[in-house]
Amino acid sequence: MSEFITATADSVLRRSQLYHLQQSEGAQFAKYQDAVVVKQFSSNDSQQVKSLGVADLSTLPRSGFKGKHTPQWLEQQGVTIPEQPNCATKQNDGALVARLSEQEHLILSDLAMAGSLAQILEQSWSIEPDYMCYSLPRRDSHAWLYLSGEHVRAMLAKVCGIDLSAVEFANGQIAQTSIARINGILIRDDLNDDTAGFHLLCDSSSVIFVWQSLLDAMAEFDGKPVGLAALLEN
Amino acid sequence: MVNSQQNNRLASGGLLVDREHPITFSFAGKDFIGFAGDSIASALAANDQWLISRSFKYHRARAVLTMAGQDANTLVQLPSDPNVLADRTEISQGMRVDGQNYSGSLENDLGRHIEKVGRFMPVGFYYKAFYKPAGVWEKWAPLIRKKAGLGEIDEQFEPEYYDKAYAFYDIVVVGAGPAGMSAAIQAAEQGAKVLLVDENPVLGGSLSYDRLDAKGEVAPALRAGMIADIEASDNIDVMLEAICNGYFADNWLPVIQAKRLLKVRAKEMIMAVGALEQQAVFHNNDLPGVMMSSAVLRLIKLYGVRPGKRAVVLTGNEQGYSAALEMLDAGIEVVAIAELRDSPPISELMQAVSDRGVEIYQNHAVYAAQPSSDKKHLAQVELRAQLGRGACANSGELISCDLLCMAVGYTPTYQLVCQAGGQLSYDDESAVFTLKGLPKAAQIVGSVNGNWSTDAVCGDGYRAAVLACNRLAQQSKTITEISEPAPIADDSAASPNYSWPIFPHPKGKEFVDYDEDLQIADIVNATRDGYEHVQLVKRYSTCGMGPSQGRHSALATARIVAQATGKSVAQTGVTTARPPFAPERLGHLAGRSFYPARYTSMHQRHVEAGAQMLQAGAWYRPAYYGASDQRDACINAEVNNVRENVGLVDVSTLGGIELRGPDAAEMLNRIYTFGFLKQPVGRARYALMTNEAGVVIDDGVSCRFHDQLFYVTATTGGVDRVYQSMLKWNAQWCLDVDIANVTSAWCAVNIAGPKARDVLAKVCTDVDLDSEAFPYMGVREGHVAGIEARLIRVGFVGELGYEIHVPQHCGEALWDALMQAGSEQGIKPFGIEAQRVLRLEKGHIIIGQDTDAMSTPQEVQMGWAVSAKKPFFVGHRVIKELNEIGQYRALVGFVVDDLSAPIPLESHLVIEGEKMTGRVTSCNFSPTLGKPVGMVYVPPHKAEPGSEIEIRSSGGVMVTAKVVELPFYDPQTERQAL
Amino acid sequence: MKQMNCPLNGLRNISEFIYGGEYHPMPDPQQCDKREWVEHVFFHENAAGEVTEWWCHSATSYWFLARRNSITDEIIETFPASKLFNKRVDFSAAQGES
Repeated sequence: MSEFITATADSVLRRSQLYHLQQSEGAQFAKYQDAVVVKQFSSNDSQQVKSLGVADLSTLPRSGFKGKHTPQWLEQQGVTIPEQPNCATKQNDGALVARLSEQEHLILSDLAMAGSLAQILEQSWSIEPDYMCYSLPRRDSHAWLYLSGEHVRAMLAKVCGIDLSAVEFANGQIAQTSIARINGILIRDDLNDDTAGFHLLCDSSSVIFVWQSLLDAMAEFDGKPVGLAALLEN
Repeated sequence: MVNSQQNNRLASGGLLVDREHPITFSFAGKDFIGFAGDSIASALAANDQWLISRSFKYHRARAVLTMAGQDANTLVQLPSDPNVLADRTEISQGMRVDGQNYSGSLENDLGRHIEKVGRFMPVGFYYKAFYKPAGVWEKWAPLIRKKAGLGEIDEQFEPEYYDKAYAFYDIVVVGAGPAGMSAAIQAAEQGAKVLLVDENPVLGGSLSYDRLDAKGEVAPALRAGMIADIEASDNIDVMLEAICNGYFADNWLPVIQAKRLLKVRAKEMIMAVGALEQQAVFHNNDLPGVMMSSAVLRLIKLYGVRPGKRAVVLTGNEQGYSAALEMLDAGIEVVAIAELRDSPPISELMQAVSDRGVEIYQNHAVYAAQPSSDKKHLAQVELRAQLGRGACANSGELISCDLLCMAVGYTPTYQLVCQAGGQLSYDDESAVFTLKGLPKAAQIVGSVNGNWSTDAVCGDGYRAAVLACNRLAQQSKTITEISEPAPIADDSAASPNYSWPIFPHPKGKEFVDYDEDLQIADIVNATRDGYEHVQLVKRYSTCGMGPSQGRHSALATARIVAQATGKSVAQTGVTTARPPFAPERLGHLAGRSFYPARYTSMHQRHVEAGAQMLQAGAWYRPAYYGASDQRDACINAEVNNVRENVGLVDVSTLGGIELRGPDAAEMLNRIYTFGFLKQPVGRARYALMTNEAGVVIDDGVSCRFHDQLFYVTATTGGVDRVYQSMLKWNAQWCLDVDIANVTSAWCAVNIAGPKARDVLAKVCTDVDLDSEAFPYMGVREGHVAGIEARLIRVGFVGELGYEIHVPQHCGEALWDALMQAGSEQGIKPFGIEAQRVLRLEKGHIIIGQDTDAMSTPQEVQMGWAVSAKKPFFVGHRVIKELNEIGQYRALVGFVVDDLSAPIPLESHLVIEGEKMTGRVTSCNFSPTLGKPVGMVYVPPHKAEPGSEIEIRSSGGVMVTAKVVELPFYDPQTERQAL
Repeated sequence: MKQMNCPLNGLRNISEFIYGGEYHPMPDPQQCDKREWVEHVFFHENAAGEVTEWWCHSATSYWFLARRNSITDEIIETFPASKLFNKRVDFSAAQGES
């Protein structure tokens, strides 16, 4: 597991599009490998994660691959790919591999960055003539949020027109849909047996709008932004 | 103390009121006391205040009619809320309620005198009287509207928070009466997730107030049992004081509760929406004190309020006797029952009423009602024997009373059902509307489905729930299937509808539509004026167009129109019912709407530099930097700095699409007009896109970074469409190419100006920036300030320039590095306003601004960007054919030499004699040329440089402009190739 | 709101989809006569009854086809484009392209 290193973020570090906003929201930042993350928003983060919280994971590693040879290439790299599109599978190193279509896959690092599948795949990939597996710059194109807690479904019902109830939307299921009128990828990945959780990936240029829309929808349930540290406790 | 003021409050009873909690409120300036749970109307009735409003047209006194929010009589004004239904709105401490639509006071409305001239105001009066001479309506309208207006809006209102949410259920049941409750209970039993919606504050529907047996024991027991079942079920969500306000495709239901609009998707829907009681139509049937039997029952049972002291019942069904028994139990004197039917079979209820000594007048109608001397309440009714359909004997018996209870029948609450596709028909025999033809996952149950007796109503709910669950069970793990119940036996014998409760009177005032003060003659006259179809009757007479939307006028109107036109009621039908069912607040529609906004990764830097941001599409972009009162000066300075030194503009919003694979070049070759197969690696080409009709729809630059990798830019607003269009084409062509929209993965700046290279050289050392090594339209990969970058030498603004594309997260770092590196050269940021001027000076078009839905490449002088040798590209064939025909207009440049003339603006017209022959697409003052320059569509004969055109500029001033060769600036293109 | 079954994403609100026009096969742009091409580009059947249409699921930019009854608005079936298009389409070779 990576260590949080207390740091004042400067422009050479990988920062989230939400950085300036989070500064004004009282975030405590830390350096975490090559990136700046919000370590903590308040001392209540741990409780918040269980009731309703949103964490910004945008600076954590992730990668994507697309093209007709992609499933074959990923399997060669030892990745277990989900059998069906719109399903996600946990890898041995903790990474989550989400199959977005027959050919397109998204790899999300585990939150502790204990493993490094997303980075390893990106590094071992190169463009080969006539071999159709192409890297997608997912760490830049998409922002990554994690929503969790008892009220997460009721809150998402205010911004997303898909039935996310536990019965209809199983753990590991993916919905690519409109969230607050922004196209996004929603992946159910419960924090643990007691706490429901969803990854939300959206266009990075839209994340400020999405963040504000979510906080507005969360207010009714006393939902708050949380830091990464509280998620790692679970 | 408190109770003493509520003279009409019964000693006990009132399901909804809490006698422990008195509430003080005011109405029309007077203080009243009611109980918590009282509606405004019930609390006023408890205090003997019956007059609630003045009617729309004649300002007649109006009062409680339905006690169910189905009429406009109870519309009142709250301080910040007009047109509130007093019979559906609960009182609260200190609430200030006023009447509406009167001048002077509610009690003494000066407008009531208009009734005296009422006979000179027939239906269509306003159309006829104020139609001619032309213009006269404009003068009258404000006065008439003032007279006719209802409530007043509060212009000082404070915005409130309304929102929306989605919800999903296996089965949604609308209406929590016996039918709806039965359905919900059974569906939950079979494992379905159920939402039960009702507009009332308690479950039970008619069981909450109706009397099913002589002793009045059946309904409360039945209700209590069902409520216990519902409360015990984990599968039923109950929403009370919630209204399902419409039906949309595939069981999509807007359910409004408090300040939230719930968008509910139901796999199956069961409508148990009940039926609406209808009034009898006779002279002065609108007097306060004349009300529906269901209103009488509601007042007594729901609120413990005595609806009158001395009552007459007009009935054609059992419910009149239910009401009579209830009144007798409440200590109200029931002096007579006018039974419309001739010798109906003696029922248990009728017998009970008779046993209590109430005289029943068989085959009698109420021919007329007469008011008290102040015209504010019923004082007596005239009973006459019926001679035939709508006809009465010449004289009758006058009976004094202060309450007339009408029980003559119902219409199904057809609105939601018809929105779902249900067809309404009428059985002339039983005088009942029936509904058929619902979508496959929607059902109607209970009285809306023509069932009236309790067993049939409950059985209907049960049956529908089983059918729905059995259908769902096929695809559900939680829902079980059970054997299908037998169909419900025909229950039409229990129909409460009396066939013709309509009694014309020589003095009129037999109201069909209370909202609009429409009488029998108005409806008949509308048909005589030629408006025979019920839809035309509605629009001509305004019948059914008031706040209650025909809820109590549709049936009577259909009957009267049918009779007047010699058709059957079934043939006549009713008018279309559209959503919303009940009024909804703008807040519900406006609340929590999403207006997406996109920000580039350099946004913070623009804000810090004092940029005026504007939203273009969803993107926030810097318009210019500096104070808004210095706008033009700021823009001119930015333009000059680019021309003289070096400027930096954020172009992150440009679209970016990557095409990769063996067929990447082939794909581009088919999508864009130029040739791309032989585009060298390391070079960029202009990429112009046309649609199949040969119309220019987007442009960008295609950069080849690898034999099988192209990075293509697209316009900010067009990229999503371009990307989708590429995917659609390749879904058909099956080329070996992968297409990815990477717009948000990259941010970009354009550093432009004669000193651009000097600045870039300081922070980019791994790319040879020499013009020979990295020429105009070259592309390179390298590092800028240590950041991996794609560099493209382009000339959109007409100067030496580099577009630098870097990963999104590096935006601020790139911006900071270049601003710092360029400080010596006087680098300054510039916004999109300056960029627009710069590109205009250079004669570059903006797709969508300088092109329209008809612009071909030839017209916009882009013929050079179209390959004549390719076998195919999208738009190829049409462009080829059009070139043979020749063009009818051309986009050309123009200058205005007269500096005193108003500068033409976009869309100003080119005028030749009497004709419009063109329009301006772009025009700005050019700081570089010192005069206005622009682009304009002109006919071919004006396209030659040197032609003079006349442009109608602001204020109609004609401005002479001269057509010139494009570009305006640097025609030899020396500067961008530096 | 109407729903449509996306072959990739399942049943979704119609607001998630973009209409892509009627499906009709493209005539050979080299061989067909002018009228045939003009009708292909500018004329639409706008048929009353069963029609086949292009639809795109906007969040995934996934194109597919739908058979729909334009009178009742019933969507009869949706299917991937590969059901109709499964081999590479080529146009006659370029003539000395630069």
